[in-house]
This record gives sequence, structure tokens and C-alpha cells, in this order.
Amino acid sequence: MGLFDGDIMKYEDWNKISRIASRKSLWMVHFCTGCGAIELPPVMTSRYDMERFGMGPMATPRQADVLLITGYLTVKTLKRVVNVYEQMQSPKYVISFGSCPINGGMYWDSYNTVKRLDRYLPVDVYVGGCMPRPEGVMNAFLELMKLIDEGKARGWEKYQKYYEQYKRNQKMAFNFEREKDEGA
Amino acid sequence: MKALELIGKGEEMHGRAYIKSDKEEASSIIKKLKENGFDHFVMLSCVDWIDNNEFELVYHLWSYEHKEHVMVSIILPRDNPSMSSMHELFPQIETYEREIHEMYGVDFEGNNRLTPFMLEGWHDMPPMRKDFDSKKFAEDVFDSIPEIKEEEDEGI
Amino acid sequence: MVVEKIAVIALYTTIAMFVGILFMGVGRKIVARVHNRVGPPVYQGFIDIAKLLTKKTNISHGWIYDLALLFSMTGIMLTILFLPIGGVKLLSMEGDAFLVLYLLAIPALGFALGAGASGNPNAAIGVMRALVMMLSYELPFVITLIALMIYYDTSSIAQIVEMQHAKWAIMIPPFVLAAAVADMALQGMLMEAPFDIPTAPHEIASGPMAEFGGKHLGALMIYKAGTIVAYTTLFVDLFLGGGVVMHDGSVLAYLANFAVWFILIFLVFTLSLLINTSFPRFRIEQAFKFYWKYEALLAFISLIWVYLMVIS
Ligand code: SF4
Repeated sequence: MGLFDGDIMKYEDWNKISRIASRKSLWMVHFCTGCGAIELPPVMTSRYDMERFGMGPMATPRQADVLLITGYLTVKTLKRVVNVYEQMQSPKYVISFGSCPINGGMYWDSYNTVKRLDRYLPVDVYVGGCMPRPEGVMNAFLELMKLIDEGKARGWEKYQKYYEQYKRNQKMAFNFEREKDEGA
Repeated sequence: MKALELIGKGEEMHGRAYIKSDKEEASSIIKKLKENGFDHFVMLSCVDWIDNNEFELVYHLWSYEHKEHVMVSIILPRDNPSMSSMHELFPQIETYEREIHEMYGVDFEGNNRLTPFMLEGWHDMPPMRKDFDSKKFAEDVFDSIPEIKEEEDEGI
Repeated sequence: MVVEKIAVIALYTTIAMFVGILFMGVGRKIVARVHNRVGPPVYQGFIDIAKLLTKKTNISHGWIYDLALLFSMTGIMLTILFLPIGGVKLLSMEGDAFLVLYLLAIPALGFALGAGASGNPNAAIGVMRALVMMLSYELPFVITLIALMIYYDTSSIAQIVEMQHAKWAIMIPPFVLAAAVADMALQGMLMEAPFDIPTAPHEIASGPMAEFGGKHLGALMIYKAGTIVAYTTLFVDLFLGGGVVMHDGSVLAYLANFAVWFILIFLVFTLSLLINTSFPRFRIEQAFKFYWKYEALLAFISLIWVYLMVIS
């Protein structure tokens, strides 16, 4: 960091450039979990065309910046999502679609879907609805861009800072029964 | 209906043939149906009749020849339900049996792939049984997970 | 003298990279228009690379992984230096057509090295396919190159360019055929559809690039930009007279040649994009068959035709 630590450019200015660039070029990872995946084709193709904003799908998490949680998450999927999220290079952002990741939605009493995503992963933008329409999805993208511009999309820093709490919660969801057995 | 003539019992129900059978007889009925044109095995489903304390297994078959849908139903007791596997007749039954084993706890003798299927790390009662309290389970497990406590300072 | 030369070389490679990055954005715009979309702004390539280079974390898979990128980048830059750009010779010499053929293999090998070091199974599959693809397009391409060398009786690309002053190679009948063959080979070199199986995003998760992220991916994109310029320039030099329209050595001629070179590589690149957007992909063995059966046959016909023209 020495080069940009005040010698040539202030670290804040450097951050600003980074933010401007990453706002205009958000690549999302192709990982669709619930019902919402079906809303993405219209957003990607000629009807709504998110490439206007420099967004595009990417094949692997290493290359991507945005993780879209498109709907309900089962415990089994959450394991994979956490894997994907941890492989992404920061700064990275999470957008969650629909009411399921907010409070469980219509799966509020299901034995197998996690109810509140923000206990396991830091979420930057929520989109309400069951399922949100493509307009809503576009709006969320614009909102995320605005947050990045203002430097408020800091989920990834939060994840680093409270890593232990997130890990503990994830473990609790993954081994719920096993832990109970061992505890007894 | 063709299937009813073939087996010699059962009734018509909403345009489908419905044949009540039992554990021993079922595989011979299905074999006979298969040999007489009912060669598409559609699915195997299970119903939990908790008031009668029994499970009902329903084998759905379809014939392209007669354009007819047959349901062969079997009643099993609710405690220690077991049934013989029919994967020799239709290989795809194996997967349905795995699912029903996992979701209802019905044992299929002769099927040696009854390993965990869709649920990972599940140790409770099979979740599709009606006496499994899904709401209580969800409250116990997911509501007990604490929120992330953030410190006050804004500059993370 | 040496300092001047180095400065010119640095200037040219920088310009080439800039043009390449610009072309990536323009290319996405063209593809978007074909899909009836608006598409990203033309400077999108610069934004993408700036974003990737300013990523905060970066995973490395060992020093081979880090150095392989530099290896590829060096290879592609050297290739650019040996190709006359708008008739300006940087490092041209006698016999450089063979040298360029060797240099063209270096970037692919570097790429393979990096992808192999990343240890991802998809990357291994992708690399294997990329190497098979290289083997396939090289045969028809080399045959057309030999045809050119026989016709112009030289093995220097600069000289081939000079001898096309009166008449571009593509205006001579057998070379129309050869240019068609070389254009399909170019398609394979640029890894555009129908020959994009080595980096197919849906089948093998973008293949060799699967593990690249952050700054490494940024470097990889710069390398990609370099390949666009290098390969299209090679085609323009061989068949379209290198874009040389005025040869009196004045400043005006210099600028005009440069502008024509730019337009020509743009046209070649656009053609390749249009082919890309209108075809699905070949499987690797289909691509191999296409190159070694039909393309090689056409290339041979043009070679024999040229040979008959030369001896008569
Ligand atoms: S919010 Fe509605 S549409 Fe979205 S995943 Fe949940 S149930 Fe499906």
C-alpha cells in the first residue's frame, strides 16, 4: 500500500477511484438459489439490459463482485452460498431478492429454509416482493451503485470484522441437531 | 376401464382406475399391469393418514396404449412401516423410494440405496410425517440463532 | 539511439494495449446492438480493468501462477513488436514470419501454465482444449502463410507488407481463398464463437480463467486486449497491405497509414464479432475436424494455385 499511502495519491482518493470503477462494472456470479432466478433473464436480455450499467454475469465466484441471493435458501444451499461468498474477492456485495431471505416469507415455518439471511451473511441491498419484478431488480442495482458511490456498501468489511459471530451462526444452522445431541 | 378388467377389482375415480391392494399382492399386480401396456411408471407417492394411524403408498402408472392412468394403493401401519422394493420392475422406483424413506421413514426391503438424499445432516423425525411440528422446529432452531451484534462506532 | 528506440517501442505497445482495451468495449457494444440491446459504453473495458486492478484482496496460487501472466503478456507484446503497424517497422527482420509463428505459441503456453498452477479441474480441461485448438488452427494458417511466402518470395512480414504497395494480397484471386481460411483461423486465435469452447462460460466455468480474480484477472484482460490487436494486425499485414496507403515517408503519410491500419483492424475485428454472434459453438473435436479437413483443404488449394501462378 506504500505507493498510495500519501506518496503519490492519498489513500482516500485512491479509494474513491476504486469505488467509481467498481460501481460501473459490477459482475455478478451465476448462482441462483430460489424462485427468483427466473426474473434474471429479462433483466439481462434486451428488455431491461443490465449491461447498460456495465453489469454482467460471470462464470466463477473468483471473478465476480455481486452475489445475488435469488429467493429462499435451504440450509443445504446456505453451505454452498457461504463457500461462494468466501471465494469472492472483496470489495464484494450481496443483494437478496424477495421476502424469503428477509424473514422467511411463505416458508416462515419450514423446517429447512433459513429465515433471516442477515444472520449468516452481510446483505447490502434487499428487494421486497414475492417475487420482485424486473423493475424492482433494476432498482436494487441502481441502489447498490448509489450506496457504493457513497461508500456505504460495506457488507464485506462487516463480514471481516464480525467474522466470528457470522461463523458461529453458520455453524449453528449447519449442525443444529448434532450439537443438540452432543450437548445432551 | 382396461386396468380394472385386467385385475378384476378396483373402482373408477375421477377418470382414473383406483386399485386397492396390499403388501403381498402389490408387486404381482404392478407386474401384470406392466406386461399389459402400463409401462410408464409415473411416480410413487405417500400419504400420512394420521387419524387412522396408517400410511398409504400410491403407485401411479400410465399407459400410452390405452391412455389410462392407474393408481395402485397400499395401506401400511404407521409404526415400523416397511414394503418390498420394486426396483427390479422399474429401476426409477429406487429414487422415489429413497425420497419416501427420507421424508416419511418407510423402509423398503431390497433397496440398498436408502442413504440420506435431499436433507443434509438430518437427525430428527422424518419431516413430512404429520406429527412432526415444523413450526416448533423452525422456532427452536432458527429463532435461537442470535443476531450479529454490531459495535456502536460507525467507521467500520 | 537506443533510448529512442526503447521509447518508441514502449509507446507502440502502450498504444496497442489501449486500442485493444477500447476494442473490447466496442466489441461488447456491437454484440449488444446485434442482440437489440443498448449495451455498455465503449469505454467499459477501461472501467473493468480499473475495477479489477483496484480490488482489495487477491488470491495467488504460487509464483508460477503469478509469473505465467507476465510470460503471456511478454509473448504478446513481442508479437506486436515484430508486426509492422501501419507500415512502421519496430523489430522487423529477415525471416520474422517464422519467428512470429513461434511467438504466437508463447502466450497460449503462458496461459496454460497459469491455469495449470491454479489447480482448478475446469481450468485443466480448458487448457487442454485451448492447446488442441491451437494445434488445429495452426495448420491451415501456416499453409496460407507459406502460400504468401512463395508468392512474394520472402519470409519477412515487413517485406510482404512492402510488396503489397501496388496491390493488396486479397485482390489476387488465390489469396481471396487464403484470406477466408486465415479469417477462420483468426476466429480460433481470438477464441470467438464458433471456436470459443476453451473458455466456454457455461460448460466449464470459463475454463482457464476459472480461478483468476482481482488483479490477476485485470492483467489477463490486458493480455486479452493485446491478443486482439496482435492477431488482427497480423491478418491486416498479411492480406490487406498492413494499412499502408501513402509511402513517401512524410508525417502526413505516417498519420494516414496509422489511421488506415486502425480502421482495417477494426473492420477485421468487427467481422470476427459478427461471426461470433451468429454461430453457436463447435465441440472441440468438431473444431479440429473443421480446421484439419475443410480449412486445410482450401488452404492447400490456394497453395497449389499460387505455386502454379509463380512457376508459369
Ligand atoms: S419470496 Fe416468494 S418468489 Fe421469492 S423465493 Fe420466496 S416464495 Fe419464492
